[in-house]
Amino acid sequence: MFERGKKDDGMDETPDFRPAAPQRSQAPTNPKTGGQNGECAVIGRSIQINGDVRGDEDLRIEGDISGTVQLKNSNLTIGKEGKVRADVYARSITVYGTTEGDLYATERINVHINAQVRGNITAPKVGIEEGARFKGSIEMDQDAVDKALGKASMQGGPGHHSDKAADSKVAPAKVVKEAQSLNRPSGAG
Amino acid sequence: MSSMGRATARPPLQKLEALKAPLFRLLLEQLDGAGRRHILDLGAASTPMLSLLGRSRCRVEIADLASDGGIGRLNAEMPVEELASMAESLLPAHGGRDDALDLVFCWDLPNYLKPGPLSALMRAIAARARTGALVHALIVYSERTMPERPGRFVPTEEQMLVNRNGSSAEISAPRYSPDDLRRIMGSFAIDRAMLLANGMQEFLFRLQ
Repeated sequence: MFERGKKDDGMDETPDFRPAAPQRSQAPTNPKTGGQNGECAVIGRSIQINGDVRGDEDLRIEGDISGTVQLKNSNLTIGKEGKVRADVYARSITVYGTTEGDLYATERINVHINAQVRGNITAPKVGIEEGARFKGSIEMDQDAVDKALGKASMQGGPGHHSDKAADSKVAPAKVVKEAQSLNRPSGAG
Repeated sequence: MSSMGRATARPPLQKLEALKAPLFRLLLEQLDGAGRRHILDLGAASTPMLSLLGRSRCRVEIADLASDGGIGRLNAEMPVEELASMAESLLPAHGGRDDALDLVFCWDLPNYLKPGPLSALMRAIAARARTGALVHALIVYSERTMPERPGRFVPTEEQMLVNRNGSSAEISAPRYSPDDLRRIMGSFAIDRAMLLANGMQEFLFRLQ
């Protein structure tokens, strides 16, 4: 089955597992699409959203999301308190919390200790920290990643704009300043 | 595994010592530059392993059999038909995809399965694999005991293996012989075997 091939010395770097920012100022920043002052939007722990979350800036989720999450050119962090039951599309995805659904990233997906991921992962680079729980498929073939992301785009993934409005239930208390950025046109509405 | 023998107290083994596993290294060398591969890892996912596999074009299925009591459930007494369903259910959902498995990493998990359950698991894997697919396994050979939980093997940059299993208690090992394995592994025939420095035997099986 296998044949000897040329050895590739250009080994990928081990994904960076430095904590991705419990505070806004430390959030991953996309210079083109990140929030002003390099901050990222945050969905706080009391927020529940049923529907599509779309945007063009970095986002951290500590709340409860069901539906889809599409941040075509941006970075997504699912915090320790975050629970996402959705297919997720982003430039990079970092998971500390719980996800149920398929994860797609054009660059990288990192799953950290104590995170739980149920679903498949599609990204050219993937890191899964010891202590994380994951069972499923990991697609790292760049051609297959491109194909999957293109297909996802056709089906409502990145780049596709649906008229479906998000049905969000927002807890009245602490409507969370952090969630304000989601009220912008590009966010969940 | 209580089903495989009673745990006994024993000084921790030097599990963090890097182990030369020539057949593992050979597999990785052959992956480099090969076409797209479909790989099943019966162990838990690890970043070093994914980094190595990510050098080639591949999709990796992670079964993590040792989590959630998967091994205990497979070793439980049950009718043959149920055993087959159980083995199938412990593998990642296949979803009728047409890309058959090329390579399977078992690590030391076969030592923790009774012959019947191991046969059932290999039958379930064979049904998803292409002819010529390879299975890599580490079988306890010279030692009479083994850690009570399966290892968590992680490759080093030198493509050696480090066992990060923290288990210090030991249980008796089944010490499957090549003849046992020929019988148990069904349509997977022994392709190559090498005795390792830690007393394990490294096997490559090939689907006939």
